Amino acid sequence: MKPDTTDATPPSATPPQLWRGLEEYMDSPAFREAMADEFPEDAAEWTDPVSRRNFLTVMGASLALAGAVGCSPRPAPQRKIVPYTRQPEQMTPGVPLYFASAVPVGGYVTGVLVRSNEGRPTKIEGNPDHPASLGGTGPIEQASLLDLYDPDRSKDATKSGTPVPYEEVTRAIRRTLFDDRGQPKRGVRLRLLTGVVARDTTLADRIGALLADFPEARWTQFEPCGLDTVRDGSRKAFGRELTVTYDFAKADVVVSLDADFLGAGPGHVRYCRDFATRRRVRQHIPAGQEKEYTTPEKMSRLYVVECMPSTTGSVADHRLPLLAGQVEAFARALAAKLGVEGAPAPGALPDAAQKWLDPLAKDLLAHKGKGTCVVVAGEHQPPGVHAVAHAINNSLGNIGQTVFLSGPVEARPDGKMVDLATLTKEIADEKVDALLVLGGTNPAYTAPADLKFAETLQEAVKKAKEKKKDFFRFHLGSHQDETAALFEWHVNEAHYLEAWGDGRGFDGTAAIQQPLIAPLYAGKSAIELLADVTNAPVREGREVVRAYWRKWFTDSKQTGEFEVFWQEAVRSGVIRGSAPAREAKAPALAPGWAAGAAPSPAPAGDEYEINFRPDPALFDGRYANNGWLQELPRPLTKLSWDNAAFVSPATAKKLAVEKEYRWTAGERGRTEVSILTLTYKGRTIKAPVWILPGHPDAAVTVHLGYGRKRAGRVGNTPTELNAAGEPARGFNAYDLRTSDALWFGNGLKVVRTKDTYFLACVQANWVMTQKDPLDGHIIDRAPVRRGTVADYQKNPWFGKIPPTAAGEADPISHNVPGPPEKPDDASGAQFRKGTTYGEPHEHKHDEKGKDDHEHGEEHDRRLLPLTMYHPNDALYPDAKIKARRWGMAIDLSACTGCNACVVACQSENNTPVVGKYEVTRGHDMYWIRIDRYYEGTPDSPDATQTYFQPVPCQQCEKAPCEIVCPVGATAHTADGLNDMAYNRCVGTRYCSNNCPYKVRRFNFLTFQDWATESIKLGRNPDVSVRSRGVMEKCTYCVQRLRYAEIVAEREHRPIRDGEVRTACQAACPSGAIMFGDLEDKTSAVGQWKAEPANYGLLAELNTMPRTSYLASLRNPNPEMPKGA
Amino acid sequence: MPQIFPKGVNPLARLLVLGLPMMFGATGVGLAAFYRSSYATGVDEVVPQPVAFSHAHHVGQLGIHCLYCHTTVEDSHFANVPPTKTCMNCHMQMWTSADLLEPVRKSYREDKPVVWNRVHNVPHYAYFNHSIHVAKGVGCQSCHGNIDQMNLTFQSKTLLMEWCISCHRNPQENLRPKSEVFSMTWAPGKQVDGKDQVWRREDLPNWGQVADSNGKLVDSKWVGDLVGKPRPKTQGELGPVLKDLYGVRDAVTMTGCSMCHR
Repeated sequence: MKPDTTDATPPSATPPQLWRGLEEYMDSPAFREAMADEFPEDAAEWTDPVSRRNFLTVMGASLALAGAVGCSPRPAPQRKIVPYTRQPEQMTPGVPLYFASAVPVGGYVTGVLVRSNEGRPTKIEGNPDHPASLGGTGPIEQASLLDLYDPDRSKDATKSGTPVPYEEVTRAIRRTLFDDRGQPKRGVRLRLLTGVVARDTTLADRIGALLADFPEARWTQFEPCGLDTVRDGSRKAFGRELTVTYDFAKADVVVSLDADFLGAGPGHVRYCRDFATRRRVRQHIPAGQEKEYTTPEKMSRLYVVECMPSTTGSVADHRLPLLAGQVEAFARALAAKLGVEGAPAPGALPDAAQKWLDPLAKDLLAHKGKGTCVVVAGEHQPPGVHAVAHAINNSLGNIGQTVFLSGPVEARPDGKMVDLATLTKEIADEKVDALLVLGGTNPAYTAPADLKFAETLQEAVKKAKEKKKDFFRFHLGSHQDETAALFEWHVNEAHYLEAWGDGRGFDGTAAIQQPLIAPLYAGKSAIELLADVTNAPVREGREVVRAYWRKWFTDSKQTGEFEVFWQEAVRSGVIRGSAPAREAKAPALAPGWAAGAAPSPAPAGDEYEINFRPDPALFDGRYANNGWLQELPRPLTKLSWDNAAFVSPATAKKLAVEKEYRWTAGERGRTEVSILTLTYKGRTIKAPVWILPGHPDAAVTVHLGYGRKRAGRVGNTPTELNAAGEPARGFNAYDLRTSDALWFGNGLKVVRTKDTYFLACVQANWVMTQKDPLDGHIIDRAPVRRGTVADYQKNPWFGKIPPTAAGEADPISHNVPGPPEKPDDASGAQFRKGTTYGEPHEHKHDEKGKDDHEHGEEHDRRLLPLTMYHPNDALYPDAKIKARRWGMAIDLSACTGCNACVVACQSENNTPVVGKYEVTRGHDMYWIRIDRYYEGTPDSPDATQTYFQPVPCQQCEKAPCEIVCPVGATAHTADGLNDMAYNRCVGTRYCSNNCPYKVRRFNFLTFQDWATESIKLGRNPDVSVRSRGVMEKCTYCVQRLRYAEIVAEREHRPIRDGEVRTACQAACPSGAIMFGDLEDKTSAVGQWKAEPANYGLLAELNTMPRTSYLASLRNPNPEMPKGA
Repeated sequence: MPQIFPKGVNPLARLLVLGLPMMFGATGVGLAAFYRSSYATGVDEVVPQPVAFSHAHHVGQLGIHCLYCHTTVEDSHFANVPPTKTCMNCHMQMWTSADLLEPVRKSYREDKPVVWNRVHNVPHYAYFNHSIHVAKGVGCQSCHGNIDQMNLTFQSKTLLMEWCISCHRNPQENLRPKSEVFSMTWAPGKQVDGKDQVWRREDLPNWGQVADSNGKLVDSKWVGDLVGKPRPKTQGELGPVLKDLYGVRDAVTMTGCSMCHR
């Protein structure tokens, strides 16, 4: 059914303050109609390709079977118990163990702790000891677990696609490299192609040893989304390669020049944590935690100049949308304003940017010499921008204070390194005898289009065949991907959780990559393969890694026993003191730092600037077969399963793209958009368009990582065609990417076609909107309370909203459960008492007071007993043990919308992946969603503010869902959890209808994968796997609560604050989520909730949510131009 | 209008007025009885096992402690079935050639586990935890029956939800002093070697020790109050004391859905 377009209600006179999408901003009748429904129309209909008749046949058969099996009066069939024959040490069946390891992404590692249930890795947590994690993770680290269980992983060693024994492959490599007596054939023109490999690691050492035997050998490291510009920038500025790291915890003023330091890059998890310490504003900072929180006066200020809206830009206090090509001009102009000596001449800048320069420079100069500001250049900007940023930091005295320079992290043996272009040319010229590709890189898919890597290789193979010349090609990789298809020999690579290894984090700190499981498919790591090929005396992965670190231990003159060092390194996952030393003082600028041509001008006329960015979830495309990441709604676009060409609303208008997305069949997740033809340097692709508020005009951004041809069952779909009609997911933006414009370039031509394409976008799923019953307008429910630090200093309680109905004397947030005792600060006391039942009673039940008050006088009179929450101290007033009161607080000032919590929740709670088609029908199953709101007008991108709000189940004390369940499948526990008993649920969905927060998820179909064996291994055994017809929702990770309770009660002690953490809280890199027992007077969550900025989402509905929010604070510079 | 039914049917109609409800009632009672019968619950039914292991022999006659084999019961939700190595600890020395033990020896030889049939099948959506029950003074016997007398192991309780809930509502009826948790012969008030039961230090939480303000372990007040004193002689008196002593929570807490279902 089409949305009812006859609705005569005129659009709202004033647009909503906060809006999720353009259609909401414009408040069209169609939008309102679609929003009014709890579930999208026909959400419950069976419209799968299976015909109805077919379905009935199948159902008939299952009913017959059910009759035979399900109704058997006998007990359930016996299950088996399979004990060990010899039980391993440390292992207690049923008790999970945690091991330290390291997740490699793009050549850099993040330290993690991996949970092992009876030997199966089931969950990834951050490693608090590792400097790149400090306990947090990003979505990719979380989801890398699923890669281990990817059913499409390469499972065999192959020759031309046919499985062969592994030894046959190693023999073949040996024949190519060594003669009969085992001596290296020194003349072999060996070429190695890898992703980035960190310096001073086992793999780098092994490759170095191999190269030493072959003088003609060359090594290429190719990372499509790497840090080349950062490296080149440091070389330009200081004349040598340096690693740049930042300390955002120390910075009062942060200026980002197109740097998404909170959302991408090797150190972003750590940076999130550091940055958040200056954004979590508190009135009362507990003693000893001064480094975790900040006072309003000391809140930092973030300026972001960027093209594609990023998570960093979204949390900025001031964001300037600027073409990527103009950032260099901006940087130069800023340097000139700051009085940096020898600053290069700036180019032309738009007015909005010009207006920024004076106040920004003033703000920075106020911090000159104090080492409390920082200018960060992004890896998508050319080396020139980095050089200017270095010069600015140098002149402001930041180097050594907030900016640190240290030795390089990436391995680049001198004289042995060639880039991919040179390698491709050598292949074309038949100057390569053997090409070895070692894991982590997929050049046939990711190489810049102008190199024609795949075609060149194919051509060379053909020529070698004609000339009967040997051209040995070997590929080590986790999948039979695009590159593997071009290689004769292939060995399946072990996942990082299957093999020993090591790596270095963003700052160069080494971490041991410890395996948790034997290779599922007998895969090999690059280290093991090289050992086998070179017939090294030590070949077992662990021993090779140990041998390397033994050597390092001796060479670096560490004290103590090696064995002690090794055990500690493996246990903690970190090798202390292994980071390269920081430069003691700021190095002198190289003479030519300011050299370089004037920045590229803005695109002229009908041309556009094209921007390439790695996908926030799929990265460079290597995670394309990971369902958790594919489905993950991207932080800003909220698109799932697809990439798109992002344009600003004004550009969309120019291209005559409809501003309003068309929903078909009332399905609000299914948005019909125009297809654009993008032509750049003679190459053309077709891409669906997506209008993104905040994007600068005259530019188009595309995400890399889609359009894979050989990714697997998730990344390729024969039945779903992309915009170009190919059986791939999304379009391949690498087809436009050339080696001279890796990140952006001018000269893109865009044409709108008449075709349309369906995108799955969750931005309108699960909205908490409500129509005003009188005039039909959508009520502004102020989901995100927001303000500036100035507002906060004037009135810290600004987030509380006034009562909505007559007779309600107290501010609504009274209704948010808080800590049990009033803080001593009288000024805010009336806002803080708010416990449901926890107020101390001075009087007995039957006692008559002087004003004849009833029991419960102190309670809010609005509280009707419409609840199933019976805390035991209310039922048993003399109970000796008080029930715990679990609660959560989320600091919206710290949230960057990065999605780590979403994937962590999915991993912890066995939440299914539903697929693009189901997402378009509003069937996504995330227990925690991140709502993204815009504020401002979409037509002026520089005036748009963005807010993120993670919404898990609010665990209302007066839960509207409970009172409508006809079978009592959802009820309250004494500790205040809103429980969901799956085995009791009959699927009426009334609970979801009645939930004002829309956090309940229904299994409309069998979304769980019950068939794929490998997927079963990765599930959390402590959480039921839900099947069709069952409602589910966030449980506050009740399995973790109960486990912690049992451990504490066994020891007859209270649960320590922080002993139990929910999955989302543990994963959050910014520490934006706090969880704990409100009954515990010292709990951190109680302190958060006692803050004046604390408010309850839709608390005016009297739901008494246990989850509450701390209002979002921004720290704008009053001198900045208005609207910026 | 002529009558449809002849007059002779009247008694039948009267009978039905009373009889129909009784029939429905009887059907209901019958179904409920069937649902709880040993046929439907599997109570008292011996489950065939690859090795005819006798608890009566090992526990009842030889007196091997539960924890010798079921080592994880105090630490894990799962009371493990012992690894083959545990069997072989003794059977490398004794009955080394008994045919009965061939599957065990074969398992040890070939490093392939013995696959046992589970006797107590709790539904997969019920998350039962052994360790907390043992810690709070629920005896093995309370749920598993007189294991020490079972030649072949069988389920002695229904394992129906109502059975779980009945105890979660009234835990004091099934609590025993901690030192008696693994006993198969204990009963409240029962004399041991002709003497009345007295409180022992092992009965107290954390062996009667608590941390003082300096974090040093000192004896709790319970030690002076209880140890050496006679235990109450009936469950009615003993249960509430134990419930207090072990911090067993109240019925509202213990019957919350997520206590068992997650």
